[in-house]
Amino acid sequence: MSESTKSPLSTAASAAAPGDAVPGTADPVTGGISRKGLSVGTVGVLGALVMGISCIAPAYTYTAGIGGAVGAVGFQVPAILLLGFIPMLLVAFGYRELNKAMPDSGTSFTWATRAFGPYVGWMAGWGLIVATILVLSNLAGIAVDFLFLLISQISGNEAIAEITRNPFVNVAVCLIFVALATWVSYRDVSTSQKLQYGLVAFQLAILVLFAVMAIVETVQGGAFEAHMPEFAWFNPFEIKGGLSMIVMGLSASVFMFWGWDVTLTMNEEAKDPERTPGRAAMLTVISIIAIYLLLTVSSLMYSGIGDKGLGLTNEEIGGNVFFALSGPVMGGLAFLLSLAVLTSSASSLQSTFISPARTLLAMGHYGAVPKRFAGVSPRFFTPGFATIASAVVAGGFYAVMRFLSEDALWDTILALGMMICFYYGITALSCVWYFRHQWFDSGKDFFFKFASPLVGGVILLVLFVITAIDSLAPDYGSIAIGADENGEGGIGIVFFIGVGLLVFGGVLMLVQRFVSPDFFRGKTLSMDAPPSLRQH
Amino acid sequence: MTGSIVVGYTATDAGADALALGTRLARATGAALRVVIVLPSEGTMSKAVAPERAYEELLREQARSWLADAAKTIPAGIVHSAHVRFAESFGEGLQAAADEFGATLLVLGAANGGALRRHRLGSVASELLHASTVPVALAPAGLSREPDAGLPRITVATGTRPGAELLLESAVRLASASAAAVRLVSLMPLDVPAGLNTGAITLLKDAHVDQVLASARDRLSGETDVEVLQAGGDSIEDAVAQLDWLPGEIVLVGSSRLAQPRRLFLGSTAAKMLRELPVPMIVVPRTRAEGA
Repeated sequence: MSESTKSPLSTAASAAAPGDAVPGTADPVTGGISRKGLSVGTVGVLGALVMGISCIAPAYTYTAGIGGAVGAVGFQVPAILLLGFIPMLLVAFGYRELNKAMPDSGTSFTWATRAFGPYVGWMAGWGLIVATILVLSNLAGIAVDFLFLLISQISGNEAIAEITRNPFVNVAVCLIFVALATWVSYRDVSTSQKLQYGLVAFQLAILVLFAVMAIVETVQGGAFEAHMPEFAWFNPFEIKGGLSMIVMGLSASVFMFWGWDVTLTMNEEAKDPERTPGRAAMLTVISIIAIYLLLTVSSLMYSGIGDKGLGLTNEEIGGNVFFALSGPVMGGLAFLLSLAVLTSSASSLQSTFISPARTLLAMGHYGAVPKRFAGVSPRFFTPGFATIASAVVAGGFYAVMRFLSEDALWDTILALGMMICFYYGITALSCVWYFRHQWFDSGKDFFFKFASPLVGGVILLVLFVITAIDSLAPDYGSIAIGADENGEGGIGIVFFIGVGLLVFGGVLMLVQRFVSPDFFRGKTLSMDAPPSLRQH
Repeated sequence: MTGSIVVGYTATDAGADALALGTRLARATGAALRVVIVLPSEGTMSKAVAPERAYEELLREQARSWLADAAKTIPAGIVHSAHVRFAESFGEGLQAAADEFGATLLVLGAANGGALRRHRLGSVASELLHASTVPVALAPAGLSREPDAGLPRITVATGTRPGAELLLESAVRLASASAAAVRLVSLMPLDVPAGLNTGAITLLKDAHVDQVLASARDRLSGETDVEVLQAGGDSIEDAVAQLDWLPGEIVLVGSSRLAQPRRLFLGSTAAKMLRELPVPMIVVPRTRAEGA
């Protein structure tokens, strides 16, 4: 890697500075690069595994995402999950290469700018911010449902669970959750490792318990609509309904694996940078796939794919499946599942908040958004302004959506899948293009810097385009905007969220281009491609 | 007193107060000033957030610019340097910096939300007051906005408990390095067991004052101005409220008997004083740090 490949953020830090102070010299600030000032890698395999599972938050992801996947591909959900994992894995390889070459808090934004220039970079950053803000609002929305459910399960008063349907109460409680999460993120409240380990272990244990109980009840004849598992459930060629359905299922599946790459990208932070990230990523993936397969098979066995009652394609329950299933399946123990989803959402709120805040911070730093976003809190050392801005937008977005449609959660997930495909796709292709002089350096380079990210990135971008076109249909998502008085025609709301927000981002970009053009002229972050390292 | 003074700095009002106190003490004693910002390792204190070295680098750059700005406020003639350190906690980082620079004093600001000219202990100060091996100076809120009046006098709050000797010694060293006057305030009356009769207390009081004065006289050179006072009032709060203060004056107290040897621990007396004090306070460990 040549010196020029580093981003300004890291070159500034690595400028040779004397180890320590010589009192009275011209530059009063020293000690910048001394080993004493540098923290050592602290994350082991177990720590990274827990981090990975905690970031994915399987209890939350499953309850939010599985309805959509079943709605698209029916009994072949296990197959679509396995299929959806492939592009995520391929893209993650590209992520890892970029993170090694240009560690930067702006991630996708910085990398895409280096590879494709300011405009593509800006849109990639915007895609990441929109995706994380969508998921923040969804996380908080799910947490509200489960808070009321938990209270009703513990108190034995079923009416309490229905309070969540009142949009005013729902939005108010949701905003309180977002405010709490903001406070925790803004102040960088320290969470102990023990607590985090405990929460992850609890979450996994309860999910397994749910699956086992669902299977046992099905076998004993107590299921809603009993089915015995078949091999066809794992066969993607059995999917009926054509390309659109496969794409929709894949986009739900992409959402369910999102966040997994955090384990791969911990390089310098790991105790053993050569081994830890790889092993942790492998272990995380195996555990996540295993738990998802167990859950999907058991809930398909128990509920079937009908669109009435507890059937998994019932739109009423699709955006929050555990909310409907926990009582019937787990009976008196259902509160444990509510608790698991609540804690899983709550603990991933903090780690999720970091993404948009740090990306905005980096964008502010390079002048891609107003400088104020680059502000760091002098007391808590967090991206203060960016954190609060993200929270305000996430809360506002949820409030608007909740009043537009009661099934807002489900619409958000569809739009979210689209957004993840967009910015992951761009990021993967950035990897391919950025390393264009190094493709043929070695077999390893060819695979990790060219083939994997190219295939993964193209798949995700194709998914994005197809979803965007499909989402124009009025029946895509819970409501159609612009329908006539008979409820016919119009455009599905998911299109407005997904494509609408991207177009809005494009407008903001042009405004910023007009107000403060330095970034767009490549003055703060230039395009680059590292030369081949092969010996000639 | 030569050696160095470590200032636990943040780019906040409290940090400015700490820097102002550090500057005063450095100027008065001729010590070098080490301004230190302690940042969270890998950019976060939370184990729930994925560690990120790139963010750590970004914070380092930010901290360097904060330190560069801070350095501009330090008047000429004071030897100073600035440093960025990473640690799992701020207290731990400052403690390590104190060891690294062989500091004779650590300086901290008040926590946010403290009333003007009053102390309020933040979590960092509390942590350090329970663990530091070197004296810790606490700057009350708003100190940086007051003019630097030098170090005219040092007030030593002393009793008969173990550690009084060492406290006096620290005061003497500080006084001789800075040419400040010394005022000894006996907290003896407030230190006796409850239920003792008044006659006995008076006897003890007088004896204590004489004893303190004698021992102080022994240690101080002829030029140092020493005065001895008895704390008035019924409580520590009363006693502190009745004292008058010169601009620039500071108070020295010993750490609690509960402290581990050579470690600080803020006792109840010192904690009560802290709440009332409008001037900076230095808490001195009960036994001497090795090599100090």
